[in-house]
Amino acid sequence: MKQMEVPTFKPRLKVLNREQALAIHGAALEILQKTGFKMEHGGALEMLADAGCRVSDKDRVSMPAKLVEEALTSAPKQFALYDQKGNEVIMLADGNYYYGTGSDATFTIDLDTGERRRAVLKDVGNFARLVDGLENINFAMSMSNPEDVPVADIYLHAFAEMVKNTSKPILFIADSGRDIAKIYQIACLVAGGEKELQQKPFILNYSEAISPLRFPENVMEKLIFCAQKKIPICLPSGSNAGGGAPVTLGGAMALGIAENLVGLVVHQLAGKGSPFLFGPNVSTLDMKSSVVSYGCPEWSLTQAALADMRDELYGLPIWAYAGATDAKVMDAQAGAEAMFSIITAMLSRANIIHDVGFLEYGNTSSLEMVTMANELIAMSRFFTEGITVNEDTLALEVTERVAGGGPGSIFLMDDHTFEHFMQAQFLPKLIDRSRYDTWEGAGATDLYQRCNAEARRMLSEHQVEPKSSEVLEGIARILTPH
Amino acid sequence: MSEFQVLSEAVIKGDVNTALAETRKALDAGSNAQEILDNGLITAMNEVGDKFSKGLLFVPQMLRSAKVMQECTKTLQPFFQEGDVTSKGKVLIGTVKGDLHDIGKNLVSMMLEGAGFTIVDLGVDVHPDKFAEKTGEVKPDIVAMSALLSTTMPSMPQTIEALQKAKLRDSVKIMIGGAPVTEKYAREIKADAYGSDAGTAVNKAKSLLGID
Repeated sequence: MKQMEVPTFKPRLKVLNREQALAIHGAALEILQKTGFKMEHGGALEMLADAGCRVSDKDRVSMPAKLVEEALTSAPKQFALYDQKGNEVIMLADGNYYYGTGSDATFTIDLDTGERRRAVLKDVGNFARLVDGLENINFAMSMSNPEDVPVADIYLHAFAEMVKNTSKPILFIADSGRDIAKIYQIACLVAGGEKELQQKPFILNYSEAISPLRFPENVMEKLIFCAQKKIPICLPSGSNAGGGAPVTLGGAMALGIAENLVGLVVHQLAGKGSPFLFGPNVSTLDMKSSVVSYGCPEWSLTQAALADMRDELYGLPIWAYAGATDAKVMDAQAGAEAMFSIITAMLSRANIIHDVGFLEYGNTSSLEMVTMANELIAMSRFFTEGITVNEDTLALEVTERVAGGGPGSIFLMDDHTFEHFMQAQFLPKLIDRSRYDTWEGAGATDLYQRCNAEARRMLSEHQVEPKSSEVLEGIARILTPH
Repeated sequence: MSEFQVLSEAVIKGDVNTALAETRKALDAGSNAQEILDNGLITAMNEVGDKFSKGLLFVPQMLRSAKVMQECTKTLQPFFQEGDVTSKGKVLIGTVKGDLHDIGKNLVSMMLEGAGFTIVDLGVDVHPDKFAEKTGEVKPDIVAMSALLSTTMPSMPQTIEALQKAKLRDSVKIMIGGAPVTEKYAREIKADAYGSDAGTAVNKAKSLLGID
């Protein structure tokens, strides 16, 4: 059989059609025009007024659609993040997807005792080091608000600790214009200067507006700082369905997108062409516990919808979440919820996918959970790559050879198997497929125990490329209180 | 209790029309306002709170019941007599200085109101001195503080300090809550109670004031 070259279809999830995407976008524009928003930063207010927004009651702003269109045009459709050695490792364009951890958890699960306790600075370092060693985790976030550093500087200390423990890109949090300036100083030290950082950014700031439609001064300080310094930023809001936003997903998306568009417009006014990662966080407020869910199908659905809106309308890379759970321990619920969000985020081609490794609706971080997610991402990637169909993979000669061969011919013995099995199959590392007796003999462990062991191994064996003494001394100076 | 059965059921179901009609009917039939409040409305809200904490009701259902109760209480207002006890206690509540988040705080306020407390809501980004000043002014039984951010939590002990300076600390009970707040933190800053969620906040408020 002569085989034509067959392109490989890579499975992809679509949840919105063009009409739905346009309707949600139209609703967002209507919110900005009719309802307006509260802008509490004087400079931003002035920029918006100068650009043609109507301001009433001191800080109530109504935004014309034209401004949104302009910002969508001037924001870059793609941009890259680099590792701390200057290699391009994340290209935010089209349907490229990247996974990483999350930020701001109050608690962590102690690797030694299994207990939930307050997170400390060392945990931030441990998470960054684990991320550094895991092949499918592409960027680091703090995973913790450490208890053992001065609270006014937790984000600064967390950032410094991450820099010391990973070479991968860092997505960071800051409180206001004050600490982001110091974090920026550290980043410049690592990159080798301000110009170098601008050319090859390894950082991206995550800040949040407050739903519904409130833009606090400290948040805008960070947004404007990033726009001016060309540091990539994303500015989602907490437009979770039923909490910060209407309970129905269409309305929650429209509100969240409206809020993001405000951020984008201010951002582009402050630094035309600076990189902006688009996307609201549209999860649900649980109607019994009133927590914002990190394992619900709704969040996965709205970010799949946002990916469709990116493809239909916006063209900007998007922000998403996956690999987290509402479960309090890494149990079957944690596995189910983590896998659900990981594979749907990948199938819908979300770009920057954070929060990997959270338990307890983002309140507790878990090294074991990050380790498990690393493998779930690999499984999902295998699925998402689709089935390559060509002469080699159809393997008619192999079938002929084995089936038509003499007695004792088996596929396992064939050279074709030897040559292809590593690519043709997903080879799990932590997922257990051993025979019962083998499993029992090896200690009858469950996935949580194996992830715990693997996380411990990684933390004791994985070597992070150390920072130069110049960088370390610079960091120490910046961290010293004046 | 059975004489207000229909009223109570309407409150539990969140049926405002029936509840208001029943409230008027009870007044017309000569029941006094305090009785209707205690045996019709508060009884119903106790059941709602109980069902909610057992996971049998969802938040919007409970809030609808609270809203219905408030509407009925408005109808009763002109009929209360001197000496009637129309409130379980007064709670001064706010999101602390530096923090602008209010969903959790508003939820706690509504649930406390539904449970029969009087709420004085100072809003968000409330300065410690403002808490102290208002405490002197409205003389609450409880001062309740909320924070969503780790970075704004220190405003809680600062507020307690402001109350101490104003010599008002001992005249109130202090409750705190919010995502990064813990029981341990409440002990550290010498607050009187910590509510892990809105339902717990109501129970803690009741026990702080010795109400069952």
